[in-house]
Amino acid sequence: MTFKSGLSSARRVRFGWACEYVPVGGAIVGAKVGNSRVELAKHVLLWTIVVLTFYPFIFMFITSLKTQSQFELYFWQLVRPFHWENYVFAWARVAPYIANSIIVCAVATTLILVVSSMSAYVFARFAFPLKEVLFYAILGIVMIPGTLTLITRFVLVKRLGLLDTRWVLILPYVAGGQVFSILFLRTFFASIPEELFEAARLDGASEFTSCFRIAIPLSMPILSTVAILNILAQWNDLIWPLVTITSEHLQTIPIGIAYFRTSIWQPETGQVMAAYVLTSLPLVVLFFASMRTFIEGLTSGAIKA
Amino acid sequence: MKRRTVRREIERKKFVYLFLAPTFVLLLLFEYYPAVSAVYHSFFDWDGFYVNRFIGLANYREILFDDWVLRTSVANMLKLMAFGLGVGLVMPIFVAEVLFSLRSIRWKYIYRVLLVLPALIPGIVGMLLWGYIYEPTYGLANQLLRAVGLGSLAREWLGDPKVALYALMFMGFPWVGGIGVLIYLAGLQNIPQEVLDCCKLDGAHGIIRFFKVDLPLIMGQVKLNVIMGFIGGIQGFGVQLILTKGGPGFATMVPGLVLYDNAFKYGRMGYASAIGVCMFVTIMGLTYANMKYLKSGIEYQAKS
Repeated sequence: MTFKSGLSSARRVRFGWACEYVPVGGAIVGAKVGNSRVELAKHVLLWTIVVLTFYPFIFMFITSLKTQSQFELYFWQLVRPFHWENYVFAWARVAPYIANSIIVCAVATTLILVVSSMSAYVFARFAFPLKEVLFYAILGIVMIPGTLTLITRFVLVKRLGLLDTRWVLILPYVAGGQVFSILFLRTFFASIPEELFEAARLDGASEFTSCFRIAIPLSMPILSTVAILNILAQWNDLIWPLVTITSEHLQTIPIGIAYFRTSIWQPETGQVMAAYVLTSLPLVVLFFASMRTFIEGLTSGAIKA
Repeated sequence: MKRRTVRREIERKKFVYLFLAPTFVLLLLFEYYPAVSAVYHSFFDWDGFYVNRFIGLANYREILFDDWVLRTSVANMLKLMAFGLGVGLVMPIFVAEVLFSLRSIRWKYIYRVLLVLPALIPGIVGMLLWGYIYEPTYGLANQLLRAVGLGSLAREWLGDPKVALYALMFMGFPWVGGIGVLIYLAGLQNIPQEVLDCCKLDGAHGIIRFFKVDLPLIMGQVKLNVIMGFIGGIQGFGVQLILTKGGPGFATMVPGLVLYDNAFKYGRMGYASAIGVCMFVTIMGLTYANMKYLKSGIEYQAKS
């Protein structure tokens, strides 16, 4: 089958623009474009990759419904009766960690968005003395490895009396997270037509109003991408909370569950897996709530050097 | 009239610095001060609190000539990083190409959603699950080997000094869970339609088109990922901290963990800072080399 016969004009219309370059891309894997066998092979390949990627998580879920003896006797399969009470056990232990992670991420990410929007806004729209120097001062942070500053930052927060509080996580997260956020947002703000701000100024808007009522509302897709990338980084951070948080009731998810298995509760394998499932859920839920904007933000090509 | 403009200009500039103030207060306090302080203390015998004695370059001398644990750890880190960068580039680009070439728009979207999901599960859960996979008795790896009759190959994956490092490399197989695929896919979708049409006319298919057209045009993304891979690879030690503590022996020790142990276990914060400075210098050098020698797509376009 040739390329042309593979695509009727009706399909061309139905799929619009996207159809235009998909078939050409097909050339990369098999020269016979439009060959449905090639398409099938691609699906098989992609499904294999998807299944292999997901298998540990599927295994986690299956095991989370088992007692220890079910786990040892029926290692691979899903067996009845399902022991949902594993989740009750796990929830009682991990709920505080989840709450802590949510509080820290919510506050830190909100602050990052506000602080970096403001900086990105002025870098995108104004010329002012020292602009270049200040911009490179921000860019330069990217080069400083986190491990270099880990120790001295620890000593600093200890002297500031921040150890073992929520602020010890939030403030450094904002300081570090704003760097990439400013770089992304600056590019986006610069693409907003100057006329919009001009019009606002004529109507008597202050710069503050222009930033928060024009620039930010217009940048929602990129803002949500920036937010999710920051949340991901904070949600997964392991080392910093490990060294700065000692109180169990302030601990975040990563450290909470890292030592859950060997904790004083001596959980069974199924209960440990239930805890892993529960701690995995919040971001998945958040993602499905904001999926469209996030994928659009990522695939719009905002992330490139 | 002129005076008013000037005053307005000043007014506006005041505003600019006010907007920038929160950013720079935070940067100075939590990024620049610790960085400068780390460089300063790398010349000291320092426990972070009381002991603070200037010892010149002694820390650096120890790093270069005496610390064999660090030397082992650098070798391990290089192996891990070489492998990680390799599969971290090849697999996502390959999958992105396959996805890009897929005809069904709906399926393309479904795969994209599926492939981004693992990135949302906390990294620590992934690590701990792989820890379970490598368990000697009820680990998935050994159970699988026994199930297919290769039980003799079963072993304590993370406890065997000969295989522990390779077990860490294999973690995350098939190495596509993450946003890498999405980023490369974005790069491919940004290739101008005319370029792809030309390929078709000139008969550039498959491998040839990939190396001559696609790869140069997504070089920007590749470069970024290589830099991020270096930066992450040189300092990373989360997996080792959680799963192996650098062991058995020093089989999976990496520089980041040597730094961490020195700072928080042995109280040698000056020495740990010196290790940090060495990492910093290495990262600077590599980033510079990457910028200089890996050409970006735009440069390619301009040349040809």
